[in-house]
Amino acid sequence: MTTDPYEALGLTKSATQDEIKKAYRKLVRTSHPDLHPDDAGAEARFKAIAAAHDLLKDPETRARFDAGEIDASGAERPQRQYYRDFAEDAGNPYQQRRGFEGRGDPADIFAEILRQRTQQGRDDFGGGGFAAPGPDFRYALEVPFLDAARGGEMRITLPDGASLAVRIPQGAHDGQTLRLRGKGGPGFGGGPSGDALISLSVRPHPVFRRDGNDILVTLPITIDEAVLGAKVTAPTITGPVNLTIPAGATSGRVLRLRGRGVARSGGKTAGDQLVELKIVAPPVIDDALRDFLTEWRKTHADDPRADLLNEALS
Amino acid sequence: MTRHLTEDEVLAAIPGLTRTRLVAFIETEMVLPLRRVDGGAPGHLFRQVDFARVQLLCDLSDDLDLDEPALGVVLALLDQLHATRQDLLAVTRAVQVESPEVRARIGAAIIGSRG
Repeated sequence: MTTDPYEALGLTKSATQDEIKKAYRKLVRTSHPDLHPDDAGAEARFKAIAAAHDLLKDPETRARFDAGEIDASGAERPQRQYYRDFAEDAGNPYQQRRGFEGRGDPADIFAEILRQRTQQGRDDFGGGGFAAPGPDFRYALEVPFLDAARGGEMRITLPDGASLAVRIPQGAHDGQTLRLRGKGGPGFGGGPSGDALISLSVRPHPVFRRDGNDILVTLPITIDEAVLGAKVTAPTITGPVNLTIPAGATSGRVLRLRGRGVARSGGKTAGDQLVELKIVAPPVIDDALRDFLTEWRKTHADDPRADLLNEALS
Repeated sequence: MTRHLTEDEVLAAIPGLTRTRLVAFIETEMVLPLRRVDGGAPGHLFRQVDFARVQLLCDLSDDLDLDEPALGVVLALLDQLHATRQDLLAVTRAVQVESPEVRARIGAAIIGSRG
């Protein structure tokens, strides 16, 4: 979008630097996306006026623009994510409420919303008998892939030097937050301690990948195993298991090991492990193999790309 | 894997943001980054939501010349607005799955309460 920067700010070329600043501030109030979360057009307007202001706020670049040395687009800003894009996410850490207590009667839910609102006000201005829960502390913890998939325990060292054991639940996923009750800051005036909130990021694994509760593995097999079929050993997150490769298997075929994925808490069925086969050529092609395939090729014309080439043209 | 930004990366990505100011945002709890506890270099880690919030804070203080107390007021109002929107959204979703009669009754009650 390349509009005249003066026009974007509602000004003319004769505007003073002060007028530019004033016009920009006025437009920021009406167009900043974070001040108008419901206004879908705000982002585009804000971008336009921010770009215009960037160009004109500096008398030097303004002079170059006026002289026609640079155009109105100037330098394109990188894609920006605004705060409002996150504000309504379920896990937004800046929403201090802990969700509706109890449930059922909608009237109770509204009462709860109002109660929490007034509670917040009272906390701020409470005079005598003041008691408040302690602050929550937020930590980042990188978890090894297998500990997240199978569950485990990790010891962490808090900034104050204290050591804390954290139980990683089975099937913990990337971005999950664990709440350790009472491990935050001390309360005020007899209030309860805050919580420790631990945000998990799962470290990638060289062999396993995860899709929800399913584990994905790419398994290399030899040409003879693919043609004749074979019993091979495949890794799973709980150790190696036997896997039967059917005769005539091909690269990209996916075999399912039922129940070998991430177990779910509460006795529900576990996820599966999906094994994708990948045929690999032998490290050394000897004469025997070369001679056999040379002969074999003469009598077995097959073009697996025929359909592909036809479809590519359609 | 979730990508967090370090303090240095945040400073590099937002022109005009100084370390002093970023530290002030953290100390006044206007932004709540995570702290590393997994043995890496100690310091703060910023989620995408924290990063966007720091950008908003910089916009408000630079473009609108808000000082710290005013910034606190604007932010508190903004957080309340988002909380209210989230509640409203939850109510709307709950109403949406109700029968037409119930929805009509709720609709009439809302129009009635506006006076």
